[in-house]
Amino acid sequence: MLEVLELFDRPAVLHSIYLIGSLILFFIGLYGLLAKRHLLKIFVSIEIMELAVYLILIAIATTPGETAPILSDGLTAFTGMSDPIPQALTLTAIVIGVAVTALGTSMAIQYHRLTGKVSVGEMTELKD
Amino acid sequence: MSRRLPLRKRFRVHTLLLIALCGWLLMLHLTLLLNHGLDAPSNGVGDLYLARNSETASANVVTTVVVSYRGFDTLGEVTVLFLAATGVGLLFAGGLGATPAFRDRHNHPNEVMVTGTRLLFPALLLLGVYIVLHGHLSPGGGFQGGVIVATAFFLRMIADPNFNLDHAQLGWVESFAGSGFVLFGMLGLVFVTTASFLGNFLPHPVAAMGQLVSAGVIPLIYLLVGIKVGAEIGAIFQDMLEADHDAPLPARAAEEL
Amino acid sequence: MTLHFTPVWFIAVPLLLAFLAPLWVRWRLLMPVLFSAQVALFALALSWIPAVRIAPILETIVIAPPLGIHLHLDAIALLLVALFSFAGAIITAFIWLDNGAAHLRERPAFILILLLIAGSNGMVLTGDIFNLYVFIEIVGVSAYALAAIRRDKTALEAGLKYLIVGSVAAIFILFAIVLLYLQTGQLNIAALAQAFSNMPAQMQLLIGLLMLIGLGIKAELFPFNFWVPDIYRGSDPEITALYSGVLVKAFLFVLFHLTFILLADPTVARNWLMALGAITMIVAELVALRQNDLRRMLAYSSLGQVGLITLALAFASEATTAGALFHMINHTFIKVLLFLLAALMLRQYASLKLTDVHGLSRTMPLAAGLFVLGALAVLGLPPLSGFISKLWILKGFSDVQTFWPVALILTAALIEAGYYFRWIRAFYAAPTDAASMAKMEGEKVLNYAPLLVIAGVLIVLGVAPFLLEDWLQQAAQALLGREALLNAVLGVQP
Repeated sequence: MLEVLELFDRPAVLHSIYLIGSLILFFIGLYGLLAKRHLLKIFVSIEIMELAVYLILIAIATTPGETAPILSDGLTAFTGMSDPIPQALTLTAIVIGVAVTALGTSMAIQYHRLTGKVSVGEMTELKD
Repeated sequence: MSRRLPLRKRFRVHTLLLIALCGWLLMLHLTLLLNHGLDAPSNGVGDLYLARNSETASANVVTTVVVSYRGFDTLGEVTVLFLAATGVGLLFAGGLGATPAFRDRHNHPNEVMVTGTRLLFPALLLLGVYIVLHGHLSPGGGFQGGVIVATAFFLRMIADPNFNLDHAQLGWVESFAGSGFVLFGMLGLVFVTTASFLGNFLPHPVAAMGQLVSAGVIPLIYLLVGIKVGAEIGAIFQDMLEADHDAPLPARAAEEL
Repeated sequence: MTLHFTPVWFIAVPLLLAFLAPLWVRWRLLMPVLFSAQVALFALALSWIPAVRIAPILETIVIAPPLGIHLHLDAIALLLVALFSFAGAIITAFIWLDNGAAHLRERPAFILILLLIAGSNGMVLTGDIFNLYVFIEIVGVSAYALAAIRRDKTALEAGLKYLIVGSVAAIFILFAIVLLYLQTGQLNIAALAQAFSNMPAQMQLLIGLLMLIGLGIKAELFPFNFWVPDIYRGSDPEITALYSGVLVKAFLFVLFHLTFILLADPTVARNWLMALGAITMIVAELVALRQNDLRRMLAYSSLGQVGLITLALAFASEATTAGALFHMINHTFIKVLLFLLAALMLRQYASLKLTDVHGLSRTMPLAAGLFVLGALAVLGLPPLSGFISKLWILKGFSDVQTFWPVALILTAALIEAGYYFRWIRAFYAAPTDAASMAKMEGEKVLNYAPLLVIAGVLIVLGVAPFLLEDWLQQAAQALLGREALLNAVLGVQP
């Protein structure tokens, strides 16, 4: 039983699990994007795809056994810490994602209020 | 027991094709990434940052990266949030054809909400300010703390229909924090010792690492980021709440959701 | 303490001005600030020319490359920054003088337009790939919000479509950046370029495809450009002038900058990108033939020109690249001119359908005349600058005995002539509805001042292309000169 648990501590195994999970998420998002017509569902799908990308970045760049890159709890040197860049990049990307989603939902709400439509399939104002 | 539909209707060809397409792409990516993409980057810039971090006297390397080394990204990120807040404000300003946006003052929120918020509000505010100020010492920082502060105000907006954030004041706060960030960057450019945009021109002795006053401009910039993020998220919440006046969701929209 | 004029000013100054927006609102200075910011940045760009001619300027931000973010001002970046500021100045001057479109003269529009141009400058200047993503998002969010700024049904529909398509493109770009970082541990574009060839070939292909999809959507290349005409039809013409003149050019630059610097041998991608460009051009021109709405027609015409520029840039020879860059400049001016004309026409006519604008030359003779000038410049007729740039491109191809692009470009020009003359004929036809004539106001010459400036530039550049020739050659060398860039960036170790 313990051997099985130790197996999960190996970077390759752990990374594979994260990778499989987040790629599945990414393609669930892609499917939602292509298959769904409701505006909010499309935004949800886009968010799922984005989160999958962040997960890949964070999961693969961190190896098990590394500590958070912060000097506290008795640590005295910046060694054996996980890569700080993916965390900083993800922080930036999350904020950007939130901003875009906020704008998108606001547009969808306003569009719905004006036209009563919620589906991209019904958007026909701009066609000839 | 659900109605029996013909097989053709239960599984549409379109859906099946899309699932097959996504599954195929998933398999392609999996084979490729499992073979080549499993190792964490070695000898990358991240390790060099870790090695050089003690120069900045900030105990939290992520904060150093976010505010100093890649501070330019953070300036851009704050700008994106600012643009989104501007866009949301633009969309919800003035009600547009619908009745002017007033929140329903007769719809009292329930007692649990009101009392809970009364309890939580000061604690949340304190937590948010703490997280912003300790960004260079512990996990967290301007973004996280700013969002917590904004959430505290959001709770009050829900709990108390008469509580509103003044848009004009929020705008001035936002403007102060944003231009402060850019001006700090420019000061770094002006001082000969750093001569670089966003350079750390204040003294940052390594000996002070781990203390509240350390790391030079990093905590100051993160404080400005915190104020700006708090004001922007607060403005977005306020706009969305104002927009959410008693327009009933048409049945069709609910059906399709 | 000294005040350094450095490339970061192109980004920091607009950001500062945008953050200070409440101040400009209070002092009623929004439009003057917006206009003078663009003019000042244009002047700043011009003042750099002598310095950049000698050597590209590298500005380190906080920590030297490859560790930190840096801005890289070489001949091509300077050319594009100057172009964007100039186009921005023209468009803002037009909005300022124009008495319609009040929603474009308020605080949100001020912030969005200013930051759209600042973001485009940043995309061109930055030397760091994640910073590039941040600027792509700055440009993206301001573009989405600008598309919807009129807040009616059509504008919101355009904004929503743009937002959905644009954020999907951004996800693909981000995915590619994440994979690049995980493979190499670098974020600096020059450092990535060094490490790129050590990656497994399949990984290179995947990253390349993800980038191509993301940037192809943003740069409006076939088959990723299905959404473009809708956006151009739904947004205000002043805003579409910004899209077609500034935004697309910035994305085209990014696409080719990354292609030329990441791939040690750009001929790998040459055929693919040339094919994409050729298909974009031909398909767009053919579809433009059938368009009955002026703005949709202009959108397809813009796509056709983007295809032409892609075709010429992808060939990666110095002659075609210089021609393509010149055409990029011309196309920016021409499309700004035509879209602003569409904005003026939209004030007088409720709809810009072909059947509704018969006899436009009677009520708006100046607009019709400028439209003819713009159309001739797109087609590339001799006294105008479009002629010279197309000539350079064609010469670049025929000098190395590659004739199929020549044939395609000439065919495309013929099709263009077909649809542009269709519209010109309508403008000069007898008005169908005499009653609608009565309520037309006369034209205000002041409104036309920015357009006349563009017309002047088109003629001057057509008569005297040698004004720009040196600079364009240098820009082409800078775009293609992978080794020089790698040395310039990585030679300076921290």
